[in-house]
Amino acid sequence: MTEQNLTITPELKDAVVNLLFQLADDDFFYSYRGSEWLGLAPHIEEDVASSSISQDSMGHAAMFYQLLEEIGIGNADALAHLRPANERRNSILVERPNGEGYYMEVPKYDWAYAVVRNYFYTAAKKIKIDSLKNSSYEPLAKVAIKVNMELYYHLLHWKTWFVQLLSSTGEAKQRMQAAIEQVMKDFADVFSFGTDGEKFIASGLIEKEDVLIQRWKQHLEPVFQSIGLTVPEIPVNGERNGRNFEHTEDLVSAIETLSEVYRIDTAATW
Amino acid sequence: MEQKKTFYQEFEVFSKRTPSSPFQHQFSLLAPNAEMAMVMAQENFMRRDPVADIWVVNREHIRGLTKEEKVTLQRLDNKDYRTTKGYGYLKKKWRHYEQQMLDEKEILSWAGGNKND
Repeated sequence: MTEQNLTITPELKDAVVNLLFQLADDDFFYSYRGSEWLGLAPHIEEDVASSSISQDSMGHAAMFYQLLEEIGIGNADALAHLRPANERRNSILVERPNGEGYYMEVPKYDWAYAVVRNYFYTAAKKIKIDSLKNSSYEPLAKVAIKVNMELYYHLLHWKTWFVQLLSSTGEAKQRMQAAIEQVMKDFADVFSFGTDGEKFIASGLIEKEDVLIQRWKQHLEPVFQSIGLTVPEIPVNGERNGRNFEHTEDLVSAIETLSEVYRIDTAATW
Repeated sequence: MEQKKTFYQEFEVFSKRTPSSPFQHQFSLLAPNAEMAMVMAQENFMRRDPVADIWVVNREHIRGLTKEEKVTLQRLDNKDYRTTKGYGYLKKKWRHYEQQMLDEKEILSWAGGNKND
C-alpha cells in the first residue's frame, strides 16, 4: 500500500485515479441496472443466470474501488455509494434505466434492450480488460487478469441471447433492431477516456480509444455476419460524456435508491 | 473430422437403482437405434444389480462443452455469499452479545448494591 504510494508520481496518480473511477463506476451501474431485473427476467433460470452475472460484475466494480482505496482515495464502500452524480465517471449507457416504470410498481422493462446493452457493453469491457492486462500500472494489470476469467461466460451468455433473438422472426427481431439503435445512440463515451485520455496513453495505462474501437468491431463482426447484419458505427460525439462528469437525471435517482440503506448508518459493519 | 457413422451409433447409458435415486451415467455402447441400445444395455450390463429405470441417449444428441468453451467455467474466488455455511457463526455472535448484556446488568446491580449499603 505505502510502497505503491512511493513509486507513483502525482501526475500518474491523477490519471490512474481517473481511469479506475471510469472502470469502477461503469461496472457498478451496469450491475445496478442488472440487479433491477431481479424477479422480472423472461423465465426463472434466466433470472438466476443474469443475476449471477450482475453479482460477478459488482465483484469487478468492488475490485476497482478497492484499488482506489489502496492508493488512499477513500473507503471502497463509501466511494461506491456516496459520490454524487456530478463526480461519477461512468458512461451514459450504463446509467440508462431498463425501460419504463419503476421496479417496485409496474416495471415495463425491455428485455431486448437489456440483451443488446449487456452484450455490447460486455464486448467493450472484454476489449478494455485485454488491453489492461498489459497496463503500466501493475495492480490494475493484475486485477484485469482476474476479471478476464469471468468475461468468457458473460460474453457467451449475452451472445447466445443476441443471436437467438435476432434469428427469430416478427416482434423479437423488430424489438432487437430498435434496441440496437437505442444502445448505439449512447455508445459515444463507452470507449472515450474523457479529458485525461492522452495522459492514459502517454503513461501506458491502456491503449488508444480508436485501437480499442477497431478491436470491438472485429470481435463482433463474425457474430453479426452469422445473422446477416453489419456492426453498427459508434457515434463520434454523444450529447454528454460521462467520463467528464456529464450525466442524466436517471443517474441521480439511481444513486439515491442504491445508497439509501448505506446512508442510514455509514459506520455499520456488514 | 471423423467419418460419418453408417450403421452403428454410439449411445450413452444411464440407470438408477431405485425409483427415488438419481440417474447415473454407466457406460456407452454401439447400436443401430435407441430400441436396440435399450435391449443391449439391459442384457449386457444390468443382469446382476437391481435397476429401477434406464435411459439411452444418442451421443450426437448430447451438447457438451468444446475445448474452447471450457474457459467459460472459470470463476473468481470472491463469492462467499453464494456458499453460506448455514449461519453457524450466529451462535457465537449471540453468546458474545448475551455475555455483554450480563456484564452490564451485573455492573449496574453492583452499583445499586453499593448505594443501598
